[in-house]
Amino acid sequence: MRDGEIDDILKKAAESHPGPDPALLERIAGSLQPGMRPVRPLPSARTLELLLYLAALAISVIVAARLGMHGFAAMSGPQILILAAIPILIARATVLTIAAMTPGSKPREAPVTLFAIACASLVALFAILFRDPPSGHFVPQGIACLMAGVATAIPAGLLAWWLLHRGFVVNLGAAALAAGTLAGLAGVAMLELHCPNFQTWHVIVWHTAVIPVSAALAFLVAKLVQIRRSHAHSR
Amino acid sequence: MQPGGELETLMVRYQEGDFTAATALIQRLSPRMHRFFAVEFTSRASADDLLQETWLRIHEVRHTYRPGEPVLPWLYAIARHIRVDHYRKTGRTTARELSLDETAEMPGPQAAQAAALTMEELLAPLPPSQREVVEMLKIAGMSLEEVARATSSSIGAVKQKAFRAYEKLRERLGKVGGQS
Repeated sequence: MRDGEIDDILKKAAESHPGPDPALLERIAGSLQPGMRPVRPLPSARTLELLLYLAALAISVIVAARLGMHGFAAMSGPQILILAAIPILIARATVLTIAAMTPGSKPREAPVTLFAIACASLVALFAILFRDPPSGHFVPQGIACLMAGVATAIPAGLLAWWLLHRGFVVNLGAAALAAGTLAGLAGVAMLELHCPNFQTWHVIVWHTAVIPVSAALAFLVAKLVQIRRSHAHSR
Repeated sequence: MQPGGELETLMVRYQEGDFTAATALIQRLSPRMHRFFAVEFTSRASADDLLQETWLRIHEVRHTYRPGEPVLPWLYAIARHIRVDHYRKTGRTTARELSLDETAEMPGPQAAQAAALTMEELLAPLPPSQREVVEMLKIAGMSLEEVARATSSSIGAVKQKAFRAYEKLRERLGKVGGQS
């Protein structure tokens, strides 16, 4: 059987489907009438992406400036490359976050793909660019960096969350992953500007860990919101 | 004016608070959405409820439609969300996926009846993800990109689902035809 024949059978079957009752459509229209007022459409995706991008970078730079730009001061020429790579990843994460707030937006890569690319590319770049030998205090120094990175990620994540609430999120898990990755990248950007510890395993483990921790936190918050909503609906 | 362009114009007028535009959209788009809910084998009453719920949600979030963008992917993305939410809330789904093995054992309709199968019967052997792609692509007449937008997936994934769905449909309809 050819595709065209299947198309015809499907169309015929669809035509025979009894549509909704006209009285139901009148009821629906009637229920919308009281709330009929003009609404302002969301700003363009480009505008929102730019705002979120600049805000995420600003949060990283402001926090790093307050803590001291020791990392940036200690960087050698090639190590500056990391400061070029992170903004590119942040730009991609803002695009996915803004896309998540609008139903039916253009098809793009899944947030989980971006999350994996961000973690893998940072690990690779850290391994290539940061070659200092270990000098002890791996865990205490690492935890301090992780905490500072996540603390920076929180305002970036809250900003992304606030923006998501202006729209309509159809896939809360994917939106949370995109926003969490964006926030985590803002935290890593701050650490690269601030942290002067260039030991290979320190940056690979503790700096990169800010992304999965932020994404996991965002995902957890999204799940809690989802559970709360379904409880509210079932009441 | 293209039908799609007309829907976009109506949507913009709806955002501006024009009730006649809202009514026109309800009249034009509800049959598609009703069918979309019906292919998931919910009862007619459920399809009616979901349709009503979808319009209420569309009304709440109509500001998220960006003028110039296609209306159908936006609308179907919201309808999908409502459907998933409905399944989650009820904790069960009335949709049943019949495997090809099961359908092979079923007494198939005669060839003369093949063309008279209802949409629900035709799409029964397909998993929900393929069923919705076939509904949007082949019945609602959306483009591959529009379906990809509505389902938050890639164009390649939509093509693959449509291809697999047609393989299954071909097999099922071939069996139906072979029994004549």
